[in-house]
Amino acid sequence: MVKYIPSSLDDALKFLAEHDAYICAGGTDLMVLKRNIAGHLPKFDKDVIYVSNLKEISKIYEDDKYVHIGATATLDEIYNNKLTPELLKKAIGEVASVNIRHFATLAGNIANASPAGDTIVIDYLLDAELILKSVRGERAVKAKDFVLGVRKIDRQKDELITEILFPKTKYDAGMWYKVGSRKADSISKVSVAGIYSIQGGKVSKFALAYGSSAITVRRSEALEKEITGLSQKELANRIEEFVEKYSQTISPIDDQRSTKDYRLLVAKNITRKFLKEVVEAKHE
Amino acid sequence: MAKIKFILNDKPVELDVDPSARLIDVLRVNLNLTATKEGCGEGSCGACVVLMDNKGVNSCLLPIANVIGHKITTLEGFKHTKQFEVLKMCFADEGGSQCGFCTPGMIFAAHSLLSSNPHPNEEEVREALSGNLCRCTGYQSIVHAILRASKEGEGLW
Repeated sequence: MVKYIPSSLDDALKFLAEHDAYICAGGTDLMVLKRNIAGHLPKFDKDVIYVSNLKEISKIYEDDKYVHIGATATLDEIYNNKLTPELLKKAIGEVASVNIRHFATLAGNIANASPAGDTIVIDYLLDAELILKSVRGERAVKAKDFVLGVRKIDRQKDELITEILFPKTKYDAGMWYKVGSRKADSISKVSVAGIYSIQGGKVSKFALAYGSSAITVRRSEALEKEITGLSQKELANRIEEFVEKYSQTISPIDDQRSTKDYRLLVAKNITRKFLKEVVEAKHE
Repeated sequence: MAKIKFILNDKPVELDVDPSARLIDVLRVNLNLTATKEGCGEGSCGACVVLMDNKGVNSCLLPIANVIGHKITTLEGFKHTKQFEVLKMCFADEGGSQCGFCTPGMIFAAHSLLSSNPHPNEEEVREALSGNLCRCTGYQSIVHAILRASKEGEGLW
């Protein structure tokens, strides 16, 4: 089994062109998955490439349209960067613990494709795109198209995520709500993120995304279209209708962390709370 | 096997180890530096926290390949610092160490916090300790010890 430490991005891409390998960035998920008993090497069943020290893909910068977050930037670096969208900061602030955030990465969170990945909810909500590079070239893929299922992603074996792009979308307010067993260092039972804008008493922008509520993050474009354009008064009269409709877009399960019923109830409560906030939002 | 170079307790080291080895195993098994403890082995308890570039990291989740070129500090190196002297005194005076197993990780979580925020409030201390478990449940004393270290170690962080 080959365990490779690349000297540059090109070197890493050449390796990936020839090897079917695990890609280890921070390693905070992979090292748990491949855990062995103390004093022994992790149990890998195929090659591994360690990319965390690739400086070329660690930068956080902006252009006219996007904030670019390098794949090897740590959650701590992202959290402390001025360019990072506020809602992403909120979610990062509740990922695992302070120590883990010092070396975990945003790209790793989505590549791991756990239904409970917190930052993936924000990736979906803010229409983030991933840049994947290989010796063949590069392509962009939307976060919502990248995650195919539980631990299943749209990555070819020779591709490496190099950046995550967040469109510079403007909105009036955002919400991030994570329900876990305790305030910090917990894995989500349910997480919900939303954004909205109000113009002239009408909802001019609206989006909601749910984590830990189905095999992938759920967002309903149909419901977003239905709500956008409504006046705050109209929405006020239809809150329960939308709470119900949204609850039908998710399919939470019973597992070691929570139950289907609890998750559904909490998701509904958070949706109601958010819709009320939209109805009551003041805007000139 | 690969040549792994990094700075350990302010001294350059070069090791011939498997790149996938966990930092904690390299420290404890290869280098016989046993101040770093392993609790859960999956990043939840924080007993294995050491400093990488002056920030707390879980050495049970860090492959040694990712440590190349970085600065690692374990308690064996940190114990010679003024910051450690203050933390040690405050942990002792406040009863912040009972069985002591979580203490190395707690010390680094504390130092990591004070390095970026020398005057934390209680809530910030508690957040900084969120990844460090104390099975004796002596959290209150540990929080007090860190708040006190922030005062008594004025100017050190």
